[in-house]
Amino acid sequence: MTSLQTDGRVADGRLLTVEDLRTTFATERGPVCAVDGVSLTLDRGQALGIVGESGSGKTVLSRSIMGLLPSTARREGSIRFGDQDLLGPNAPDMSRLWGREMSMVFQNPMVSLNPVMRIGEQIAEPLRIHLGMSRRDAKATAIRLLRDVRIPEPDRRVDQYPHELSGGMRQRVMIAIALACGPTLLFADEPTTALDVTVQAQILELIAEQRAERNMSVVLVTHDLGVVAGHTDVIAVMYGGRLVEIAPTKVLFSQMRMPYTEALLQSIPRLDQKSHTRLNAIPGRPPDLHDPPRGCAFAPRCAFARDRCREEAPPLATAENPDHKFACWYPVGSPEYHETKERISAGLEIGSTS
Amino acid sequence: MQRLAASVMLILAVSMLTFGAMNLLGDPLFNILGPAAADTKPESLAKVAAAKELYYLDRPLPERYVRWLGDMVTGDFGVQFGSTGQPPVSELVKERFPRSLTLLVMAQLLAAMIAIPWALISAARANKPADRISTVNSFLLIAMPNFALAVILKYVFGIKLGWFPLTFKATDPWLTRVYQTFLPALTIALPAAAVYQRLLRTDLITTLQEDFILMARSKGVGRQRVLFKHALRPSLFSFITVFGINTGTLIGGSLIVENIFRIPGLGSAIVEAILREDFPVVLAIVMIITTAFVLVNVLVDAVYTLIDPRVRR
Amino acid sequence: MSDTINRRLGPLFWIAVGWLVLISLLALLAPWLPIKDPDAYYLVRGERPPYAPSATHWFGTDQDARDMFARTIFGARVSLVIGFVAIAFGMLVGGTTGVVAGYLRGRTDRIVSFVFIVFLSFPSLVLAILITALLDRGLVTIALTLGVLAVAPVGRLARATTLSFAEREFVTAARAIGAGDRRIIIRELLPNVVIPMGALALLGMAVAIVAEGGLAFLGLSVEKGPTWGKLILIGAGSRELEKSPWIAFGPIIILFITVLSLNYAGDRVRSYFDVREIGL
Repeated sequence: MTSLQTDGRVADGRLLTVEDLRTTFATERGPVCAVDGVSLTLDRGQALGIVGESGSGKTVLSRSIMGLLPSTARREGSIRFGDQDLLGPNAPDMSRLWGREMSMVFQNPMVSLNPVMRIGEQIAEPLRIHLGMSRRDAKATAIRLLRDVRIPEPDRRVDQYPHELSGGMRQRVMIAIALACGPTLLFADEPTTALDVTVQAQILELIAEQRAERNMSVVLVTHDLGVVAGHTDVIAVMYGGRLVEIAPTKVLFSQMRMPYTEALLQSIPRLDQKSHTRLNAIPGRPPDLHDPPRGCAFAPRCAFARDRCREEAPPLATAENPDHKFACWYPVGSPEYHETKERISAGLEIGSTS
Repeated sequence: MQRLAASVMLILAVSMLTFGAMNLLGDPLFNILGPAAADTKPESLAKVAAAKELYYLDRPLPERYVRWLGDMVTGDFGVQFGSTGQPPVSELVKERFPRSLTLLVMAQLLAAMIAIPWALISAARANKPADRISTVNSFLLIAMPNFALAVILKYVFGIKLGWFPLTFKATDPWLTRVYQTFLPALTIALPAAAVYQRLLRTDLITTLQEDFILMARSKGVGRQRVLFKHALRPSLFSFITVFGINTGTLIGGSLIVENIFRIPGLGSAIVEAILREDFPVVLAIVMIITTAFVLVNVLVDAVYTLIDPRVRR
Repeated sequence: MSDTINRRLGPLFWIAVGWLVLISLLALLAPWLPIKDPDAYYLVRGERPPYAPSATHWFGTDQDARDMFARTIFGARVSLVIGFVAIAFGMLVGGTTGVVAGYLRGRTDRIVSFVFIVFLSFPSLVLAILITALLDRGLVTIALTLGVLAVAPVGRLARATTLSFAEREFVTAARAIGAGDRRIIIRELLPNVVIPMGALALLGMAVAIVAEGGLAFLGLSVEKGPTWGKLILIGAGSRELEKSPWIAFGPIIILFITVLSLNYAGDRVRSYFDVREIGL
């Protein structure tokens, strides 16, 4: 057994604190604020879901926390990981944390593994870099890791190349690489989007299982509320680079307040629907971050938006549950919400009778 | 298999072209016998008949071609024309070929050794000042004619600095001859390196934007290691292709460079042979060069499979 | 020069073009310009030639006390004509064959392509050596020999460009309204093929000029009169380089600037029109 270093690690309690994080990219058309004032916390062993459409800033948020950004990006705010300040003047060398303390599983396993390196080598790499393992030990550990992620015949697979494995297998390999050094925090960026439906559940199950086994924290980034429902403790919903609702998973599903969250939920395909029935995709497009709207970013697409929404951006307010926050002037359940809702259903009825 | 057939076809086509051109455009008899070929004196006529017999010149062209080809395949390049009593062409080839080969291999090795680090450095600093300067440099080098570069290198390193000898002695020990070959090899290598660098740099920049590079970074792999271990190998394809194709061009260039640095290789041999219209020698050298070229391309295919496991069958 | 498409030609492009115009004019008007006689011996009493560069002899003189500057300018006449004729021939023959092969496809294309491959796989210098050695070494022979060598690379590009255009809408549209092959090739395809070919012509001319130099070093260049290659060759011997490097370096500098200008101008034209894949 290898020495999984425990010194200086958070055994329990708060692992990650993000405060007012703002990530700006310098582009040819001017600066773009892809993450705008996000604050959140994560405890050891907890799973956080970050949900949003593409372009909502969820991927940039996870990469901002990890510090895995192109050189054109600038981060402001504060990120505390354990007892280290990742953005302060004494920020550690991130490449020493990557793969060792925090690692990432990427969206597309077909292009995220080096095509010309053996599987075993790719798993062994962080082991050799961070833990200084010998080539032979690293290979033995790689085989054990492959077994951990339920890859059959690990002794044989370890010498194969990525193209010899199926997509699901490759994603398992990605997970094995991410888990190799026993990180405390795992980012999984749309880990199942590129996979077959049948494989999706297995991969999510695998991540959940490894989380429990290793008391690891997980940040699960996805556009699919259905994916995070069963596998997270807390869900953060993002829109236009901002956090628009955050709550413990159960609370969110029972008492969601943000119309955007509701719209996201309705866009999930259900099993009881006939296949190929049209999804309730949210009409319109996410805001142009080069020129963000003045008020609530979702207002142009929101059925419940009123003048105030278009004028003034709503702050993140606390709901009845102190852990539940949302940013909406006329949230689900408010009198204005019901009023609009009734008007819509009345309109629909008139439409259907005529 | 299809490739192999195409290669053989290619060699055959080149050989027919050369053989035909040599026999139709020149008069072999005249080259063997000199003015006697045009004589009508009985002893001259006898000589002509004997020569015709000896060199199969009395047979029709296709038959001569087939005969020559058959000999060629078995390693018999025939006898040299011109003065009688010359050693067979195979002797000449045996003596000259290793020198040209050393020059070419050394040049390509140097070119790769210069191009790869150069491309890595400029790709890591893409579009920053260092990269821009290197782009200008490679552009200048590519525009530089090989004979001009040869003269410049000879002047600077051979004459002004005196670091390298300007003579090539066939009798010197092997290592000394390699040392003597360095400057000519560098002449061939520098422009080639510039071509390779430009190509490899572009491919490296493309590779560096792949997801698996980000993945490697996220494992905590340092920048240098990412560049060497992860980005370089998948970026080598066009480099290797051009490396192979370019060998043909370099063979041409090496003929000139051999002449400037006075290395008695195939380059000087073919020039001498052409000037005295010594067909078997010219044919032999042309065939060697063409075959070498085709072989290099087959080799390139083999190297592909080494680099990319996906190509393996 | 850069990988990105640049929609500006830039000042360097105009400097390059300026140089090309200047050197062409000098070459063209050489006999009427107030420069020295390239074939006269400017011996100075009591001093042995070669003479170093001076106010009277800008590039110095060779061993026979002939003025190197005048010889370089007169050498430009031969070198530039060779470059121009060679690439013009290559364009005419290679361009036509390539466009026709790319347009007709099928068997014509396969045969033409194979011939191109044979030529391309042949070290071109060896071919040039063969032809010049078997024929004579006159200006026209050498220029046309290099022209023949340009046929395959030019033809391949013309074919590839034609192939990529032959499928585009405007050609399909022309065919749909009943335009004949000849009309389609001349009216629709040629204008589109000409631009990448123009860029190639500049690069190809540089290659031809350099090739002449290469032949000169093998003793196979034009027999009569100075050429850049022959001038450099004369100064390239070890003894000459040591005692009188100017003999070689004058023509080298002029040749290099010319080749560089052709390359740069060709490169800019190519990226200005966003032409990809030019193989030489």
